[in-house]
Amino acid sequence: MKVRDLQHAVLPETSAEQRSRQEAVVALRRLLNTRVRPRNVEAFASEAQPAFIAAYGRAPQSPEEVQRAFLLSPSYRRWSAANRAAQEMIWVSVGEPIYRDLDRMRAAARALVTAPDRKGSLNLDPDYDPSAEVADVDIHLQPGGYAMDRGEDDVVAGALYECGGNVFSFGQGIGRADSKAGVVIRLLDERFGGLRPQRILDIGCSAGAASAAYAAHYPDAEVHAVDIGGAMLRYAHARAESLGVGVHFHQMDASAMTFADGSFDLVVSHNLMHEIGEAKRRAMMREARRLVRPGGVVIHQDVAIRDQPTIVHQVERDWDTHFNGEVHWSTYATADLRADMRAAGFAADEIVEHDLAAVQGFAGNRWYAISARKPA
Amino acid sequence: MTTTSAEALTALILSARGVRPQSLANAEAEEVLNIALALLIELSVSNDRIDRLERMVAALRDEPVSALRDVRYDGEAAQERQEAMEALLARVLRIMLDPRVQPPAAAAS
Ligand SMILES: C[S@@+](CC[C@H](N)C(=O)[O-])C[C@H]1O[C@@H](n2cnc3c(N)ncnc32)[C@H](O)[C@@H]1O
Repeated sequence: MKVRDLQHAVLPETSAEQRSRQEAVVALRRLLNTRVRPRNVEAFASEAQPAFIAAYGRAPQSPEEVQRAFLLSPSYRRWSAANRAAQEMIWVSVGEPIYRDLDRMRAAARALVTAPDRKGSLNLDPDYDPSAEVADVDIHLQPGGYAMDRGEDDVVAGALYECGGNVFSFGQGIGRADSKAGVVIRLLDERFGGLRPQRILDIGCSAGAASAAYAAHYPDAEVHAVDIGGAMLRYAHARAESLGVGVHFHQMDASAMTFADGSFDLVVSHNLMHEIGEAKRRAMMREARRLVRPGGVVIHQDVAIRDQPTIVHQVERDWDTHFNGEVHWSTYATADLRADMRAAGFAADEIVEHDLAAVQGFAGNRWYAISARKPA
Repeated sequence: MTTTSAEALTALILSARGVRPQSLANAEAEEVLNIALALLIELSVSNDRIDRLERMVAALRDEPVSALRDVRYDGEAAQERQEAMEALLARVLRIMLDPRVQPPAAAAS
């Protein structure tokens, strides 16, 4: 199943003019990413480092100093200001059609999630207080953040995530047919003997793009998905129903899930590790191992920003921490994830790190993943 | 009751939280850059609208859109276009043409 750019009933209706605006933001971001950003490392040598030396009498050393030096470079500052402006415009370009069409979208979502012939389910927990480290921040500047829930029938957070995510990804060079679930399915085929999971758990599912793709690819499997926000999950469930697939969505914290030990053949997380702090990540990994059955597979996939060649590249990649509300971007980029997987209970020889080609995309896009199979 | 675009944008903007640190050395410059980039996007939106109209007119006239666009101005029309272009430049570049420079004290602060 295609996961991006799909048509379904809970997407906002957009006019030709609104689509033009989104396409212009995509084009602007693509230009900044492919033509301007690649010059940052060069600007470090030609502008940032000399300015830092002039000011402090020595070269920058720690990541903090490299960051301070970057901000002394006019070229870097211009790119950074333009990139943040473009990021804000993603939300403006998708938020306007969403808020305009919201009444219809809410009604459509309500009808889908309560339809007598629905295939999946929505399990919200009114007592759950969304994890503050994520809920209190507008991560990647999404207005209201992941956990925003404006009450009964609200679907805004989910719609913003899906629509904004598409504008973001296309500007990033991620292809319309790319799919992180597709990357994991390929990995299962190539590295795990074509494991065909019967029970799948998707942790940190957001609008459920991957969850729905698994349900479509493995029609006999039971797919469960977990996230923290009610409006996100309502949207995700309605989206899956509209696409004709069954997924069971749960409002739960990744660090403490209520499923029984060994419930799943496959436990995945897509782009979750970079959104959570160290303690949450370790607890999430422990939970993933607890929930996978003996012989089953755990795969945590995320952005390929780890292993930068130099500290300058590393700090350049870390722009999102400072300017894009990605509070845990560098926590993730520099974490010892193998050690975390061992602490979660996997033996060293069960753990494999992967540098994965995207299913489709023009900029040589890659994804990172760390996997382990629980001994049978 | 329908939500207008302006209301939708206000709802979106009011829902945002947290600090948004600046990159440029000067906050006013960063604001102006944001406005300029937003106008760039709006210009692209308008260009798309003009393109749609051109295609529609070409279809109505049963001619290729390239023929419709392949206009070479001469005579009075050329003069009019030239004047309009100069007026546009004067409006947009007013700051560069204005002989009144800022007094040094204000410029330095
Ligand atoms: C970047 S999104 C990734 C979404 C989706 N898996 C994808 O790849 O498109 C990260 C998601 O993790 C969720 N998340 C963050 N902290 C969480 C937690 N403690 N428990 C469950 N989900 C969490 C966020 O709400 C957000 O929807």
